[in-house]
Amino acid sequence: MSHTAGLHCEQLTRRVGERCLLDRLNLAVEPGESLALLGPSGCGKTTTLRLLAGLDPASGGRIRLDGDDITTRPAGQRQVAMVFQSYALYPHLSVVANLELGLEVRGVPAAERRRRIAEVLALLQLEGLELRRPAQLSGGQRQRVALARALLRQPRLMLLDEPMSNLDAQLRDQLRPELRALLQRAGHPVIHVTHDQQEAMGLADRIAVLDGGVLQQVGTPQELYHRPANLFVARFLGRPGINLLRPEAGVQRAVRPEHLQLVPDGGLPVRLQQREWQGAQQLLRLESDLGLLLLLCDAAQPLGDALQVQWRAEDELRFDGSSGQRLE
Amino acid sequence: MSRTSLPLLLAALGWSLMPLLWQLLTSLRTAEALVLQGAGAWLQGWTLDNYRLVLQGDPPFWRYLLNSSLVGAASTGLTLLLAIPAAYGLQRQRPALRGALSLALLAAAMFPYVLLFLALLELARALGWGNQLLALALPYAGLSLPLAVLLLRAAFADLPEELEDAARLEGLNLWQRLRRVLLPLLAPAIASTAILVFLFSWNEYPIALTWISRADLLTLPVAMARIAGSSVYAVPYGAFAAATVLGALPLLALVLVFQRQIVSGLTQGAVKG
Repeated sequence: MSHTAGLHCEQLTRRVGERCLLDRLNLAVEPGESLALLGPSGCGKTTTLRLLAGLDPASGGRIRLDGDDITTRPAGQRQVAMVFQSYALYPHLSVVANLELGLEVRGVPAAERRRRIAEVLALLQLEGLELRRPAQLSGGQRQRVALARALLRQPRLMLLDEPMSNLDAQLRDQLRPELRALLQRAGHPVIHVTHDQQEAMGLADRIAVLDGGVLQQVGTPQELYHRPANLFVARFLGRPGINLLRPEAGVQRAVRPEHLQLVPDGGLPVRLQQREWQGAQQLLRLESDLGLLLLLCDAAQPLGDALQVQWRAEDELRFDGSSGQRLE
Repeated sequence: MSRTSLPLLLAALGWSLMPLLWQLLTSLRTAEALVLQGAGAWLQGWTLDNYRLVLQGDPPFWRYLLNSSLVGAASTGLTLLLAIPAAYGLQRQRPALRGALSLALLAAAMFPYVLLFLALLELARALGWGNQLLALALPYAGLSLPLAVLLLRAAFADLPEELEDAARLEGLNLWQRLRRVLLPLLAPAIASTAILVFLFSWNEYPIALTWISRADLLTLPVAMARIAGSSVYAVPYGAFAAATVLGALPLLALVLVFQRQIVSGLTQGAVKG
């Protein structure tokens, strides 16, 4: 592959009226790589997806796909497939007709259409459901049909908009590895949007965190978790959330709940407010002179009367109090 | 249905169906039988003569049915042909512009069209559209368009936008998206709009009265008014009732054919359900 393979966004911007929905986004995704766009609602992640798909026009910047500039190319000619949050299956058509419509319109001969549809139905274990209408399918089946339709597009870029949000939690856990394996096999760049960090970590090789239309950080889940670029990323990732200590001299210090340790003496004295048993672990809410602290430790750990906590200096993250940037 | 609403429903049905039933009975009785009194009155005086009279008139009654059907079909077709693209276009406008245009359409739909018929007559004269049956479809479509566009616009708005986005990504052009995805889903709305337009055209009186004077080109309402006023000395109740019944039959058939479309909700299951 040449160095231009995959997806490259350069200074991609989307403005509607006075509002800037996406501000000069730079992003590169390699073939076969899966990138999650993560952020709170309104952060610009769906905007990015729609720009890449060609559903909305870009106000500035460029999108290159395998070296081609597709910034102004109409959606139908980009060879970009998308799985929508609602799946957007055509409700009046059967599963087979849903899959066939696009192929037919793109002029694929009938025999090849049948062959390719049979292939993708087998791949996604949808055999036997060919003649059902979308309304007669379960949530997981609908998702697979939507995915099948996207794969039949033979996309150069696959986009997924909150692919799991319409499924219940148990099904999500079950489908996540399946979806990941399927997408990896396909060999094109995959971008999926989510507000669920667990989903992002489970599906993606790298995560891009967005806030207010501005890219905060891109990196592997581990990088983002351990070396967040700024306070927003540090607070957005991790459950339970990171502890923010009382700011001192313009420096905001932060420690993850699992990095706090209970010690017999020599630590920061705390008072136990609440104890939440979570099976393997327990979550303690502690009051201290530095503010409220969450501590995650082994459920078997005994608690004494006078509690003290400490943490290793290298586990402490330090941020600039005003800009929020992490200090090395 | 709850128990208390059943009598209400029956009362409402009776309220709207009684006049029709009365017309049906009247059409099947001789003129003498209509004024008979006493318990035995219902046993005699039944006849099909009224229908015979109406159907064998000059021109025969089916001619008016045909005229009205032609005008109705042309008006409906023309209205939908213009209203569907207009509604789609309207729905795709910015909200502020869409609101303003919808308001203007609403004003046009609310305007009492009777105030227009003299002006329309002048227009017909100037353009030589008098006594041209299908020319009636032009004012009918024009008058139906505002409401039709508003109804269809609302139906377009109810369709999930992601459906059309998905079709765009698959390479369907505008026409293909409309024909393969959007219009099938709008079938119920299109059917009910079509029936409204057809009904308006079927019942329209002042424009038909002033534009058409040749007896063989009359539409139903005008023809029926002529039957009612055909004699100075008597009101031909029976014949008039027979014409009413015959005139209602095509509409009944139309509603029966389309009732499934009107009632069904096809968008079910488009999104999470």
